[in-house]
Amino acid sequence: MSEPTSLAQRVREHARRTPDRVCLREKNLGLWEEVTWDGYWSTAARVGHALVALGVRPGDRVAIHSENRREWLYTDVGTTAVRAATVGLYPTNPAPEVLHVLRDSGACVVVVEDQEQLDKTMEVIEQLPDLRHVVHLEHRGITGRYDDPRLMSWDAFLALGDEHAAAHPGAVDALTDAAEPGDLATLVYTSGTTGPPKGAMLTVANVEFVVHTIQQSESFVSPPAGPKDVVLSYLPLCHVAERVFTTWFNAGLGTQVCFAESIDTVQQNLREVQPTLLFAVPRIWEKIVAGVHVRMTGASRLKRATFGFWMKVAAGIGRELVQNEGRHTWRTRLKYAAGWLFVYRPLKERLGLAHVRYAASGAAPISPEVLVFFMGLGVPMHEVYGMTENSAVATANMTGRVKVGTVGEAQPGVEVRIADDGEVLTRHDGTFAGYWNNPEATARTIDPDGWLHTGDVGEWVDGTHLRITDRIKDIIITSGGKNISPSELENALKASPYVKEAIVVGDRRKYLTALVGIELDTVGSWAQQRRLAFTTYRDLTEKPEVRALVQQVVDEVNTAFAAVETIKRFTLLPKELDHDEGELTATQKVKRSVVAERFADQIEQMYAGSPQ
Amino acid sequence: MSRSALRNRPLLRTAYTQEMAMLNTPAKRRSVLAIVVLAALLPFVVTDDLLLVLTLGMIAAVGAIGLNLVTGYAGQVSLGHAFFIGLGAYTGAVLGGDPEGPVLGYGLPMWIWLPAAGVVAAVAGLLVGPLAVRLRGLYLAIVTLGLVFLGDHIFREAREITGGPGVGRRGPELTLFGIDFSQDGEVLTRGQLQFLLALVFLVVFAVLARNITRSGVGRAFGAVRDRDVAAAVIGVDLTRTKLLAFSMSSFFAGVSGALYYAVVGVFEPSAFSLLLSVQFLAMVLIGGVATISGSIMGALFIASLGRISGEIAHWLPFISDASGSSGLLSVFQLEAILYGLLIIGFLIFEPRGLFGIWLRVRNYWKGWPFSY
Repeated sequence: MSEPTSLAQRVREHARRTPDRVCLREKNLGLWEEVTWDGYWSTAARVGHALVALGVRPGDRVAIHSENRREWLYTDVGTTAVRAATVGLYPTNPAPEVLHVLRDSGACVVVVEDQEQLDKTMEVIEQLPDLRHVVHLEHRGITGRYDDPRLMSWDAFLALGDEHAAAHPGAVDALTDAAEPGDLATLVYTSGTTGPPKGAMLTVANVEFVVHTIQQSESFVSPPAGPKDVVLSYLPLCHVAERVFTTWFNAGLGTQVCFAESIDTVQQNLREVQPTLLFAVPRIWEKIVAGVHVRMTGASRLKRATFGFWMKVAAGIGRELVQNEGRHTWRTRLKYAAGWLFVYRPLKERLGLAHVRYAASGAAPISPEVLVFFMGLGVPMHEVYGMTENSAVATANMTGRVKVGTVGEAQPGVEVRIADDGEVLTRHDGTFAGYWNNPEATARTIDPDGWLHTGDVGEWVDGTHLRITDRIKDIIITSGGKNISPSELENALKASPYVKEAIVVGDRRKYLTALVGIELDTVGSWAQQRRLAFTTYRDLTEKPEVRALVQQVVDEVNTAFAAVETIKRFTLLPKELDHDEGELTATQKVKRSVVAERFADQIEQMYAGSPQ
Repeated sequence: MSRSALRNRPLLRTAYTQEMAMLNTPAKRRSVLAIVVLAALLPFVVTDDLLLVLTLGMIAAVGAIGLNLVTGYAGQVSLGHAFFIGLGAYTGAVLGGDPEGPVLGYGLPMWIWLPAAGVVAAVAGLLVGPLAVRLRGLYLAIVTLGLVFLGDHIFREAREITGGPGVGRRGPELTLFGIDFSQDGEVLTRGQLQFLLALVFLVVFAVLARNITRSGVGRAFGAVRDRDVAAAVIGVDLTRTKLLAFSMSSFFAGVSGALYYAVVGVFEPSAFSLLLSVQFLAMVLIGGVATISGSIMGALFIASLGRISGEIAHWLPFISDASGSSGLLSVFQLEAILYGLLIIGFLIFEPRGLFGIWLRVRNYWKGWPFSY
């Protein structure tokens, strides 16, 4: 048996070597149910058989529309086992986006989680000629109510697989062995802050490149992750970053995956699971920080005083770590040991970070303050950079060589270059094979020399570390001709626990303004403490006291920037931005054009008259 | 079971038994072990007179646990606990007493008289149980109060067995596994031996009671306490549950009474008056209603109250330390006043008792550095 070279082969290899070792955990009715490698592979193989029985051929697409759960991985691995490609849909995708992804990918089978997701598919199924089968995981509200012949329950689906396996034993194994590097492994639909999502084609070779990268100690986790490491899976699996951390780490390195019950229970699940590796997007890290502050305001005086003191020490530790690239000095160690006794150990335990040996933030820019907060607490934080089109591998801060504010050094086997116009270009074996059914877009993204145009503007720091300024198309040029990166300002604003969303406006305008969305939890508890009565989110944003609070945040941020880069006026968003209404992408990124259009009146008002 | 590599993650449950375990968190496991070990080392550092107070406190704790089963867990107010304690004490004394003595005694070994004391009391409890099926609240309290007076009369009159008022009789012989607990041994003193015996006795019965309360029977107790009609509707057999509660409670009272007076030595019928019932109620209320560890805390506290009021008497000149007339108050009066004050104070300020205070302390640290 040669070395495994595809995800399915790797899972099968684990099942042969350590069949009884636990690899997946999922919480049901209060208990974490465990799945061994043997259980994982045998179910995935049944899925493979069932897919073949349903007429799925190599190269076909199978879509999954579900929250993170075991069946997601069974389907993913089962699909690649029969050389078909997986297409993930965000659980929050509304029906029109479901239609776009399913029609664009031409998926012939879709696995839906429950009635909610099923309804989205059924709403548009008549416009999907390629879709032949819909498999549903849950029974509730479905069995006995829907009679579409294309519908099939997960149990029936697996039974079909068993039947096929009995009739054609070894059929899936043969297909798994026949996997080739050029096979399409998955279609990852980019979130699409502009225009409809495009399907990025990642091949078996791309996935293998990622697996080889994470196996090295100088890439992400050092020493590399292994079977003893525990990961909590909670971000959407259709996003490439979570796919790397959940599926590929698991199949490639044997880490144990625990599925969170839902995105709302992440904090509680983190406490139970206490993962050793944790990847989160900035929004989650910010939310943890905000949560700590909210709960602290409700604590007793002594606790607040203790916490306040040790957080000051932590800030000092964080600053020193930043200067020292994340390495401890004897002074920080001493301070940390004292604080560990009083605050850091119990706090990390409450947050579920007690065992974290590698924490990473990526997928969007994060403000340095948040990173330093966690570094001060003793959580080894690393900002990493990558995108769907380069299989999420480009640069990362390495342990002991962390430069806060940068996204780190190029990873092994990765070439990174900055073009003349400032755009970051990457080139390596993980570069995707192109956009599905969209050669023009592909040609715009990959140049003939194989360089991937990331669309990000960046610069080198000390010649080794890359700093990302912004997305090219987001750069603001004021009417004074000054180039300004809005994300720097926005992140500085979002570093305040009171600010959830900030959108800086000012392209071709005299000065900069901002739309600010407040964080309901923290501002709400702040208002309660001041006995400020409020009813709704909107009511809260209209309070002059809240405006004054945000004004303070804005003023503080302004002091750190040059005069032309300061925010002269701001407006509080009267509502929380929402995916369903098209203001955010599925990954909670702001769609600037939609927001600018929807709040055009408020923006115009900020430019009416002269600034004070 | 799983071959998982997950350690140090007590909150990650893979089976319901982990959730229901008696010591379901590592902190509980560690602290219970530490308390038991410390308690076992205590007799080697504390003087014998103080040891006797703690020994009697631990034995009384078993009786308090018994009262807590029926009153705290099953919600059936019982003032008759003194009667069951007395029944156990005399059963033990008769079966294990000196056959040559002035009163009845059969000289049977401890492994017979101790369980027998429990069984006789339990049977008596079984006889009282049916009353509880018909009555509740205040009415039940009055009926059980009658039990104390009945018992008081019988114990006074049965001179053959009890020796009668003012005379009393000796308790049973304290010999187990060839060790005589009523004399100094070769290595340990009498006080140390008795302390260790009482500790083992308490641990066994505390674990037993804890297991009863987390079983189906225990949950039925709670259901009956919270609303007996509702409990009956969900299928709890009221008669059976109340009978069980009274008989189990009486069993605990019986064994506790037999051992208590074996350690004390000589006792007379007036010991089993209403005051004793009130003392046990105080242990339950001050310790914490419907908690086992609270019962133990309460019993130890009440048992040392005499000692505490003695210490107070040293500091306050108007309290005499004997029952003489030299001061405004005697220590015994002070002790009685303290009972009253403590019961009133706890009911008003900390209805969950000592256990409630402990819960507050624990939760303060449990949430650290948060408050919730």
